[in-house]
Amino acid sequence: MNFKRLLKVLLPLIALLILAGCQKKSVESTTAPVEVTKDVLVIDLVSEPTTLDPHLQWNPSSFYVYRNIFDNLLSRNTDGDIIPKVAESWDYVSETVVDLKIRDDIKFQDGTPLTVGDVVYSVHRILDPELKSPQAGQFNAISNVEAIDDSTVRLTTAKPYPVLLAQLVKLSIVPEAYVEKVGYEEFNKNPVGSGPYKFVSWEKGIKVVVEANENYWGGTPPFKTVEFLAVPEKSTRLANLKTGKSDLITSLDEDLATEVENDSKIKVLSVPTERIAYFRINTLYGPTADIKVRQAIAYGIDKKMIVEGLKGGYSKVANVMVGQTSFGYDPSFEGYPFDPEKAKALVLESGIGSTEIELLTAPSVFDQRVVAAIQQMLSDIGLKVKIVGMDMSTFLQHMQSDDSKDMTSFGRWSGGVQDADGIMYAMLHSGSQWANIKSEKLDNALDGARTSLDSDVRMEFYSEAHQVVQDEIPVIPLYEVGSIYGAAKELQWKPMADESLFIMDMKWGNS
Amino acid sequence: MVQFLVKRIFQTLVALWGVITLVFIILHFAGDPTLLMLPESATAEDVARLRSQLGFDRPLIVQYLSYMGQLLRFDLGTSYIQNLPVSEIIASRIPYTLTLAFAALLVAIGIGVPVGIIVGLNHGKMIEKILMPIVLIGQSMPTFWSGILLIMLFSIRWGVLPSSGADGAGAVILPAVSLGALSMATFARILRTSIIEEMDKPYVRAARAKGISFGKVFFRHVFRNSSIPLITIAAIELATLLAGAVIVETVFAWPGLGQLAVQAINSRDFSVVQAVVLLGSFVYIILNLIADLLYSIVDPRIKIQEKTS
Repeated sequence: MNFKRLLKVLLPLIALLILAGCQKKSVESTTAPVEVTKDVLVIDLVSEPTTLDPHLQWNPSSFYVYRNIFDNLLSRNTDGDIIPKVAESWDYVSETVVDLKIRDDIKFQDGTPLTVGDVVYSVHRILDPELKSPQAGQFNAISNVEAIDDSTVRLTTAKPYPVLLAQLVKLSIVPEAYVEKVGYEEFNKNPVGSGPYKFVSWEKGIKVVVEANENYWGGTPPFKTVEFLAVPEKSTRLANLKTGKSDLITSLDEDLATEVENDSKIKVLSVPTERIAYFRINTLYGPTADIKVRQAIAYGIDKKMIVEGLKGGYSKVANVMVGQTSFGYDPSFEGYPFDPEKAKALVLESGIGSTEIELLTAPSVFDQRVVAAIQQMLSDIGLKVKIVGMDMSTFLQHMQSDDSKDMTSFGRWSGGVQDADGIMYAMLHSGSQWANIKSEKLDNALDGARTSLDSDVRMEFYSEAHQVVQDEIPVIPLYEVGSIYGAAKELQWKPMADESLFIMDMKWGNS
Repeated sequence: MVQFLVKRIFQTLVALWGVITLVFIILHFAGDPTLLMLPESATAEDVARLRSQLGFDRPLIVQYLSYMGQLLRFDLGTSYIQNLPVSEIIASRIPYTLTLAFAALLVAIGIGVPVGIIVGLNHGKMIEKILMPIVLIGQSMPTFWSGILLIMLFSIRWGVLPSSGADGAGAVILPAVSLGALSMATFARILRTSIIEEMDKPYVRAARAKGISFGKVFFRHVFRNSSIPLITIAAIELATLLAGAVIVETVFAWPGLGQLAVQAINSRDFSVVQAVVLLGSFVYIILNLIADLLYSIVDPRIKIQEKTS
């Protein structure tokens, strides 16, 4: 038998073997008896936490973990309403002064009681230049903090600051005595908080283990032990979920979500977050300074196709730069309809010809299928679009204003406060480093909304701002980004629009 | 010998200095981490404040000199993102990187060397035509694909090995196979070529003519002589495995230096990136030096003095 003949026999055989290996099991294994309790819950994160000191780094992999070790001053329910936590009530004494009543039954995990002193200390610490906290900017509207009696903390802001409470949702309370005793570095390695879970160990690069705080003031934690694993590759996270190694996995994409849905032992949990995916257009420089070009783009992008075709329905079409669970959302705006004919006419009218429009994005962070789809849509209406990919750090540098490098860009934006102020002021007010538009009308509306405590007044200002955005098109809101999780069938949990992950909200068992 | 060593150590230091400087310049021109660390709603003042707190507003040359000064005191600095000493961060990853690299080397040698011997002795025969393509396929499979494939088969389908992580001895098998498959063809090919070459030499025929058994001739003489190039290859492959397991480590969530490096680069954690690069180049240079020294031991014909003069 010569070599070629052998190959003819072998190759199909190998191909068959590979195919057989890839095929799904034809027989589904019978469902295991239902477990009612579960001791160890395993959660796959994209990376390990950067820090466990809650006053330092601000990224999902970090706060997913430390928000379970610490209690925040306030919290939100799944509807997005601000609810009590460490502060059981609050009271506006004047437009710039808020009194917060602190619960008296909270103990830190080392046994010491949580006092007003710890709350005051936490505010001071996060603002302390020595700490170099990236989060300081979220709290520096607070000009003074003091304890006025054993159970009340008074916060003063220099100006009326309507998102103060929304910011306090993110303020973790740390124990003054412990932090000062062990020092910042040790506190980051061995954090002690008042939350439902106690820190046990942190194997660098592998996992963080926490265990139930049996004395938790807010009830009994649902799992004895919780492990947060660092699993950077999404297919591997899915493999972990499928093999039962993990019970909850974060950051799935739409393709893998489909795979989860085809497996009867696991399920998809998802929610549209307050994060908005946008197509930003520079109104100040280049060919897009022409409003006709911007209008053409607005008519030329088919958001519905992006959301339903590419995002698998897990995201939701957005018509304003604020999510529906955030303050400032106005359902009366319907955005530009998809109208390629009108868009083509506008392109011709503008006389842009074959001038190239650059489309900036960060491929490692943002969905490139959407970018490619937008490029195709715009090329269909006669615009020449060149995609320029870069890493996130460079992308952010280019997004800063007074930089004519970004003609258009695709990305996602989270204000972090579930309030229009978080996204719109930062992105559109001419005083912000990110603004690509200078509009007095828009500035006035955003300033007005930022300095009034009256929700009705603020809402009116935001509607005005949405109108300017719709007319001037410095940015096209595309969709509310869906957060997609994979979970074991028995895990009962409703994901939150602010991307937080509280174990206390979870339950094991069939609903 | 001493002269050779001194010279090599000097070269090593110069090379390390060059690497550090180059990496420093590239990293700093690519921008600092402040924008990545801040929430999206940060104002220009927030950026300026954090940048100055972290010291990135200083002139580049000042930052460079202060970093070099630190290194001269054997201080790798502190990661301003993780708020931990860099030496501690790196040290926690080294055992995992070493484990994976040696396990992968074991896979590569364990398969590559026998295959190299078999095909070297059966040059031109059927068995060579079957075995070589198989090892070549192993080398050509990108690890992000072979890794996922291994997980699908061994973890999801058969459930015999863990899909990721570093818990227990079983966890290293899949990443080691995936990574080792990349190098085994190199070992097989080099060994095959040098066996074919050795077998043609007159001393083999002479020994056989004297009546020495084939096995003795092969293992006493041919194999020993043929394996000299393997030392260099093993050193280079080991260095590559130590530094280059980025993809495998990411796929299998293996907490080694490669994964750390990628994370540090993405988050612009300068001091960590520099420490990883420093360590990588140091290992590479040292392993090459060891290979050179081993050469002179295994093969007395190669005189170190001659090479250096």
